[in-house]
Amino acid sequence: MQDWLSPAEWEAVRLSLRVALWATLFSLPLGLGVAYALARWRFPGREVLNVVVHLPLIMPPVVTGYLLLLAFGTQGPIGGFMDSTLGFTFAFRWTGAALAAGVMAFPFMVRAVRLSIEAVDPKLEQAAATLGASRAWVFLTVTLPLILPGIIAGTVLTFAKGMGEFGATITFVSNIPGQTQTIPLAIDLLLETPGGEARAARLAGLSILMAAAALAFSEWMARRVAARVGGR
Amino acid sequence: MRFHGVRSSILSLSLGLAVLGPSDVHAETVTVFAAASLTNAMAEIETGFAAATGHDVTVSLAGSSALARQIQQGAPADVFISANPGWMDALEADGLIAQGTRRDLLGNALVLIAHDAQHPVVGIGPDMDLAAMLGDDRLAMALVEAVPAGIYGKAALESLGQWEAVAPRVAQSNNVRGALALVALGEAPYGIVYATDAAAEDAVSVIGTFPGGTHPPILYPVAGIAGREGVAPSALLDYLQGAEARAAFERQGFAVMAD
Repeated sequence: MQDWLSPAEWEAVRLSLRVALWATLFSLPLGLGVAYALARWRFPGREVLNVVVHLPLIMPPVVTGYLLLLAFGTQGPIGGFMDSTLGFTFAFRWTGAALAAGVMAFPFMVRAVRLSIEAVDPKLEQAAATLGASRAWVFLTVTLPLILPGIIAGTVLTFAKGMGEFGATITFVSNIPGQTQTIPLAIDLLLETPGGEARAARLAGLSILMAAAALAFSEWMARRVAARVGGR
Repeated sequence: MRFHGVRSSILSLSLGLAVLGPSDVHAETVTVFAAASLTNAMAEIETGFAAATGHDVTVSLAGSSALARQIQQGAPADVFISANPGWMDALEADGLIAQGTRRDLLGNALVLIAHDAQHPVVGIGPDMDLAAMLGDDRLAMALVEAVPAGIYGKAALESLGQWEAVAPRVAQSNNVRGALALVALGEAPYGIVYATDAAAEDAVSVIGTFPGGTHPPILYPVAGIAGREGVAPSALLDYLQGAEARAAFERQGFAVMAD
């Protein structure tokens, strides 16, 4: 069993989980806010925000990775500031891989949540408000339960994208075993190595299993949520 | 209307043939799969060959490994230029190389580059302490197990006794141009690339050349692909070994192998 994957490949699996988890944790509240703003508010720059959110979906991943390198590298304006002032570095570290995964997955989160917010009947929220609920209370007790299926869908998509991101990651933070070598980067390396096909296939099989498990979990969650919301 | 359409297309077809002239009726398109490090040189070859022979060239550029795997899967390549002999050997073992067409076309050198334009030249030898030069920073290289530039670089550092200390600080890109970009942007202070890559980028400076004995010779073999032999592919193979191509390759910093 230990020989099934090499220690470096297990490291890639652990790293992928960590990268996808943190990418999802940060994308969730931020994506919820952006989706709510896009769905409900009319403000100057709304279209610009919409385009910026969707850019990683439209641009080639390598371009996204290069732009991340320019902005968040230690020589870049944001990355340089964070590195020198806050002592937080993205370049060539797993944090950078998580940033790349989060940015690439962000449009999926925003789209899924936004669609579910737009499907909520505002009259339900207005009814709660006329009964004396504050805006925050309305959001927590009426809107949030109704959009939960969308949030679950967005979270699963974000996690899956985070596990599978390749182009932006290798451009932004390179391939460093233990730091930035996630499953897709490890598979790419094995495919480029003569005779690495069998090991690549094992790693690919494992990632298919993990993806199927995540999908099954989200389906189960969605059914539970639907039962609770619908049953009330 | 329909007749009119047919007649006008016949007319334009015959006009087109007349404009092309009798000598160009046999113009063919040659598809070349070439290693990514040949990007700049192949652009010159493309125009030069078209002007000299009237044949068109389509160039597909990628890592040698990716190209070799595509040819193994039946990709329609007529000519293959690999950045290392290993992948050409693999095709030859599969019987995919046209008999007697393989030649060692080009040679290249491996250099240590720095982002800092004022960086003093470093004597590359066992006395160099690359790990100390790096400190907490990264050394940009191509994938050291897979991409030729990375494989040669690792071999060179190993033969100089530097690899063990440097290995944890290496950032690997999936092709040599990616490593070059990291040094050009200053994200990595040092990198190991081909001399030709360093020459193509103004934002890096060469601070040392790895002695030829520290790594296997860097050779670019060329060959025709079996089953795709023809007038135009063999014209291109001749052209690649001619004086005009030699000048183009040398302008890009390659060493042209004498036949």
